[in-house]
Amino acid sequence: MAKIVLENLGHSYLSNPKGEHDFALKPVNLTWEDGKTYALLGPSGCGKTTMLNIISGLVPPSHGRLLFDDQDVTSVPTSARNIAQVFQFPVIYSTKTVRQNLAFPLECRGMTPSKIKQRVAEVATLLDLDYALDMPARKLSADQKQLISLGRGLVREDVSAILLDEPLTVIDPQMKFMLRRKLREINRQTGMTMILVTHDQSEAMSFADEIVVMKDGLVQQSGTPEELFSQPQNDFVGYFIGSPPMNMITLEPNLGSLSTEAINLTKPLPAAMPVGNNVSIYQMGIRPEHIVMVDKESDSIGKGTIIKIEHLGVDGVVTLKLPTGVIIKAKTRKHTEMTLGDTFGIRVCKKNALLYIDGTLSSSLN
Amino acid sequence: MLQIDHLTTAKAKVSLDNVSFLFEAGNIYTILGRTGAGKTELLRALMGLNPLINGDIKLDKENITKRPIRDRNMSLVYQQFINYPHLSVLDNVAFPLRRQGKKKAQAQALASTMLTTVGLGDFLHRRPSQLSGGQQQRVALARAMVKQSRILMLDEPLANLDYKLREQLREEFPRLVADNQESVILYTTTEPREAMELGNTMIVMHDGEIIASGPPADLFAHPPTKDTASVISDPPISFISGFVRDQVLYFGEGQLAPSEGLQLPPDGPVTIALRPDAIEPGGAFTAKIGLSEFSGSQTIIHLDFDFGRAIMMVEGIETFKSGDNLSISIQAEQMMLFAPDGRNITLRDN
Amino acid sequence: MNKFYHTLKTLFLLGWSIFVVFPFLWALSTSFKDANAITSGATYIPWVDFEPSTQGWTSLFTNGSQGINIVGPFIDSAAVTLIASLVSLILGTLAAYGLSRFEYRLGFVKNADITFFFISQRIMPPIVLAIPFFLMLKELGALDTIFGLVLVYVALLLPIAVWVMTDFFAGIPKELDEMAMTDGCSPIGAFFRVILPNSVPGLVVAGMFCLIFGWNDFFFAFTLTFTETQLLPVSIVSLNSSVTPWWSLSAFALISVAPLALVAIVVERYMSRGTMSGAIR
Repeated sequence: MAKIVLENLGHSYLSNPKGEHDFALKPVNLTWEDGKTYALLGPSGCGKTTMLNIISGLVPPSHGRLLFDDQDVTSVPTSARNIAQVFQFPVIYSTKTVRQNLAFPLECRGMTPSKIKQRVAEVATLLDLDYALDMPARKLSADQKQLISLGRGLVREDVSAILLDEPLTVIDPQMKFMLRRKLREINRQTGMTMILVTHDQSEAMSFADEIVVMKDGLVQQSGTPEELFSQPQNDFVGYFIGSPPMNMITLEPNLGSLSTEAINLTKPLPAAMPVGNNVSIYQMGIRPEHIVMVDKESDSIGKGTIIKIEHLGVDGVVTLKLPTGVIIKAKTRKHTEMTLGDTFGIRVCKKNALLYIDGTLSSSLN
Repeated sequence: MLQIDHLTTAKAKVSLDNVSFLFEAGNIYTILGRTGAGKTELLRALMGLNPLINGDIKLDKENITKRPIRDRNMSLVYQQFINYPHLSVLDNVAFPLRRQGKKKAQAQALASTMLTTVGLGDFLHRRPSQLSGGQQQRVALARAMVKQSRILMLDEPLANLDYKLREQLREEFPRLVADNQESVILYTTTEPREAMELGNTMIVMHDGEIIASGPPADLFAHPPTKDTASVISDPPISFISGFVRDQVLYFGEGQLAPSEGLQLPPDGPVTIALRPDAIEPGGAFTAKIGLSEFSGSQTIIHLDFDFGRAIMMVEGIETFKSGDNLSISIQAEQMMLFAPDGRNITLRDN
Repeated sequence: MNKFYHTLKTLFLLGWSIFVVFPFLWALSTSFKDANAITSGATYIPWVDFEPSTQGWTSLFTNGSQGINIVGPFIDSAAVTLIASLVSLILGTLAAYGLSRFEYRLGFVKNADITFFFISQRIMPPIVLAIPFFLMLKELGALDTIFGLVLVYVALLLPIAVWVMTDFFAGIPKELDEMAMTDGCSPIGAFFRVILPNSVPGLVVAGMFCLIFGWNDFFFAFTLTFTETQLLPVSIVSLNSSVTPWWSLSAFALISVAPLALVAIVVERYMSRGTMSGAIR
């Protein structure tokens, strides 16, 4: 078990990087505490897998240092790092039973049979796989196989962190839900640090204590799911976290304040940015979850007509067209009672309307 | 119009068992089912790629069961992004038109228009391997659509894409297939949300059979069987066994005598189904919090009751401590009841 | 530590390269020696160690007692090898495609058994086949002819082609053929329009194996030819009379190795290029 520190850690696959663009992972400082769950989130090619490979030791970083419990492990080989890894596709020894699968890493380390028996039993209980111990591993379902892959890491007592590389990709939606819960429970019971790599924001949100959002090799924001959801630092995080993405409404600067014709919302213009500075783009970011649809128009900031209703089960997403042509999305549970063409008033709590200047959250006004 | 009668394939790990359905042109059908439910097998059987041991396929009243694959007037988009590696993007899409006997220039012109529609107008002369996953799948989609075939089949086309790309393509999907107004569109998926969002009609498959079909919102609100309810609920639906005696519902140590919103069936065993919206904080029941997780603006709370497990969703970001006890209420008007044979026996007062 | 390994690696590779290349350098140097230079102990560098002579090379293009003319055997060898390789490759590719895409059943015999049947032909020691082949060619009147040799070589090379191509086709997703058929191709059309253009790396590897085995075969060329048709490996051995003309022998060996070396250089770039990427994720 270990605290993991990334100290100015960066990587370029080129031997002589010239500019920012040559870095697959731009230098970053991060501290991950022992025993928590973390997620590296981003689209393909964002550098999350590079970061994971650096932590597991498969890729030696070209810049910076990596510390496990204040020990420099930057050039320590994978085998000596005590890392357990679970991959996208379950990796099991299909000719062995579940018990043999779990025992294998210990046998390789020359542990005594009685000790092995004890560890395997402990881990099987943790994974709820007691009943399946003597079944051939190949007969299990995909999610159970994934648990075995995880179990082979867990049986080792010296593991400092578990790295999960998109482990839920091949699992059906409902089983994903259960497996995710299982992972969290294991984290709580063993106190092992877990790092999940994923492109699925909902997976990251529900799994991790802290999420690192990445794009183009650059860490965009690192924080708790709540922070990422309610205070996205830039428009990319606003887009990537949350489904549907954050609504972005363009604001016009005029006479000391920012306003929009789309909705009746004004914000004082930041003092540092005088009117006429038309280089900047001002935008209002509002989460679809934060848009309240009301019948009365009196206390609303605008009105919109429903042009699309999406049923997603318990929740629904409603697309509204404002009189100015601006389109925004709102999330609601009342979608079954609405019909196309209905007009609603829109209400937004002031603290949920965030100001973005050139795509970056403006801290002075929010 | 596509009619299938009693389609059955040879016994295998996944096989079709007496599947019949009538598909109307101009409609989008989403076929929802778990891995191994028979979705892919159905598409492959229609295409002629999997042999049938029984059943008929009729396209506009004409029996095409024995017709060779190339004459079936159907196209298929695979889950893996499959394109012809040796051809440029443009020639990939022109390929089916060339096989129909169109002149090269004409085929390329049509292909180029279609590629512009799917947003790849700038990539005509690249090889598929030089494109990203999402772009490769767009090429495959363009190639399937350019033929204007009677049946357009998409087999989990978004399953291998990143979450956000999936969201984006789902959003674009109605516009992308707008050209194929005359076709029957079949779209398979394992994701209930995707099936509900994209289909006019949703078909639920389970164990090689069609177990339900209808407008997505109706099916979600009134799933005809327990299996259907289970397949179309995400987050998962929780089932609890109980029984009814003298108009009181008993489960575990709890009991419920609904006054409105739900009529109980006659005495006997029932299965109670609870979706996250059937449970609300505050009330007569006590549950232990197994885990709470955050999802967008909601908090998902896994609850452990003495009678089983269930999931509750609370608006807003709330911190619940695992292991704590929580009092909750169960909403009778959101609850569903199933008979021991799996039939939905929920009765509401109207 | 890293530097040490790097040096060690370099030294090892250097040593190995010398070991591999030495016979060629030795043959090259010998081909420019005359009888004196050869009998007077090991010498390496022309003009320094010995006086070079072109006798070894000229003898290969003159008839008569001075040497043997290499042109005839070279053409015969090239003809037999190329024709046999081409025929094997065509038949082998078709057979392999069938075996990888369709299921066959002849009683208890299935695809795997048919594939094994092909490969089993290479399990037998060649000597077992020599007499039957001799008798068969004799009946056909094809002994000592290019046609006869082509027949025998096809029998020997076909298993290699089938083996390599079956393996290669198995790596091409069958969805690619299916897609071609849904796009309007007949099964054979799918093969020619889609599968074959994507099989270049496999064809190159199979073709190269055929060329190597065909070109280098000595045993069957020796037993099934006499005077009319003569292949390079046989003529090289026939040089070895009472007094061995080492200079001619060396030049001969170098010339007969040259075509394969050339093929290897050309083919190498095909083999390193993975053309299947992008077909399937």
